[in-house]
Amino acid sequence: MRFFTYISALLAVCAAANAAAAGPQRIVSIGLCTDQLLLLIAEREQIASLSNWAVNADMSYLAGEVGEIPLNDASVEAVVAYQPDLVLASTFAAWDTARLLRRLGYEVRQIPPVGSIADIYDLLRQVGDWTGNAARAASLAAEMRRRLADIERRYAARPEKTVIAYAPNGFTVGGGTLENDVFEHAGYRNLAAEMGIEGFQPIALETLLAAEPDVLQIDRDLSRPDSLATAYVGHPVLERVSEQREQLDIPLRLRICGGPMIVEAVEAMARRR
Amino acid sequence: MTALKPRPAVLYAVLLPLLLLALLLALQVGPVDISLAKAWRDWTGGQTTIETLILFELRLPRALLALAIGATLGLAGASLQGLLRNPLAEPGIIGVSNGAALGAVIVFYYGLAGLAWFVLPLGGLLGAMISVAVIFMLIGRSRSIVTLILAGIAINAIGGALIALALNFADSPYAMQEIVFWLLGSVANRSVNELYIALPFMVAGWLLMLYCGRFLNALTLGEETAASMGFDVARMRLLLVIGVTASVGAAVSVAGNIGFVGLVVPHLLRPFVAFEPRRLLPASMAAGAILLLVADIAVQLLSETREMKLGVITSLVGAPFFLFLILKSRNMLQ
Repeated sequence: MRFFTYISALLAVCAAANAAAAGPQRIVSIGLCTDQLLLLIAEREQIASLSNWAVNADMSYLAGEVGEIPLNDASVEAVVAYQPDLVLASTFAAWDTARLLRRLGYEVRQIPPVGSIADIYDLLRQVGDWTGNAARAASLAAEMRRRLADIERRYAARPEKTVIAYAPNGFTVGGGTLENDVFEHAGYRNLAAEMGIEGFQPIALETLLAAEPDVLQIDRDLSRPDSLATAYVGHPVLERVSEQREQLDIPLRLRICGGPMIVEAVEAMARRR
Repeated sequence: MTALKPRPAVLYAVLLPLLLLALLLALQVGPVDISLAKAWRDWTGGQTTIETLILFELRLPRALLALAIGATLGLAGASLQGLLRNPLAEPGIIGVSNGAALGAVIVFYYGLAGLAWFVLPLGGLLGAMISVAVIFMLIGRSRSIVTLILAGIAINAIGGALIALALNFADSPYAMQEIVFWLLGSVANRSVNELYIALPFMVAGWLLMLYCGRFLNALTLGEETAASMGFDVARMRLLLVIGVTASVGAAVSVAGNIGFVGLVVPHLLRPFVAFEPRRLLPASMAAGAILLLVADIAVQLLSETREMKLGVITSLVGAPFFLFLILKSRNMLQ
């Protein structure tokens, strides 16, 4: 009996030491972007649960990496069940969930919206600090910088092109967005941003046609199952236009969240310039 | 209101130029300034330009869809008012449009619409048909306005709830937001595809309803009288119901539930056709088309990119009119 007490005391000490070294040990993420950041930056043992979005292959770049990690539906009840020592969420999606969790005494960290590639470096550093993996976060950021510089060098000689993005519900990407920064890094001029559109706004199909971009970036990832929202990107006039124009089809999972995968979006676009 | 002497020539001399004007205006209005003349020149010259794309792929399908749906709603309103011999019958008010929307929602969001082009309007038709059947069951032979309105409220509520339920369980992440479209209707961002899908059903429905004009005239004197005049009442009634549900079902399945057009239009025109149902039908078609074209132009002028729904406009105009009609027929409510 004494032996067991000794062993368990020892284990407790070890666990405490480990926790002190590596930060929170039962982290729950309730958003698509925090899911991916956790998978990239934290140790797998630190992750208690990810959101259902994590395994959605259209949206999540790391859907294949989730493995046995349990999923949650982002509800307060589901989160509490894991007794997390850190909850990660985005600021815009889950503010009410976050508020309630804080009132219940849980530590909730919210990542800010990412409006540029520069913001991603800050984001990586923050999540690295929160989860006690600062070194890994720093090396991910350094790798991103290196690859982006490399891409810029490789495609610098190619001419600039103009682009407009078109997404379900007729939304386009304006200035001040991550995707706009991706366009710029890949050597494109975003005509929607030049029209004065800021953030994600609907654009009339007529306006899009009249702008005559060299390239159209159309989100078709989620065109199934049928909905009115996706009927926008399936409008026959876009087929007619794309007979004369190039179309980019950079998968949503590469550019929906701020993270190192953005480099692949930049590269895929630059290669098509 | 006193009945004017029916002068169809004068009536259509007003309606048809107005219709043409509304159509031209609809083609001219849009976020981008284009020259219709240049678009026409390019198109006849066989060139594909921005102007031809905007005119023939975006504005013309939208305008024609608004025109056809407006005609459908006007005609269906006039037919239902004649059939039920009740001035407040209208596809939206008595729940036919919500029934059609429910049928279309089930077909559209559960992957059935891809089976064949006619499945979507057929779903709308079936939904409309079921709600008409329920209306007939609920009101029986009663011509009471109260019964009709109450039955309509019930069917509308059930239809709306089932639409929300169907959208809730749909797989698409966008489905739930789109309830507004189905309940308020819109022709924004619709393409020539929707026109092709809906038009055959709408035209078939128009022909059936127009064919029943003489029967509706006879029906104003009562069912027995209509039967004594040689009409097979049950058969004619079925033809009319098929006509209404085919055209309304198709219209709703591509543009959602646009309310009150079928109520307002026949009432405005009735004095000009000497209260004769048969003459009212084609006139209601033309006026319904004008009304919906104008409403869609208003929608585009009032909301540049964030699309206001068509039903917002038609309900804002139609609902007060509905109240006015109820007040006017208050003595019938006793």
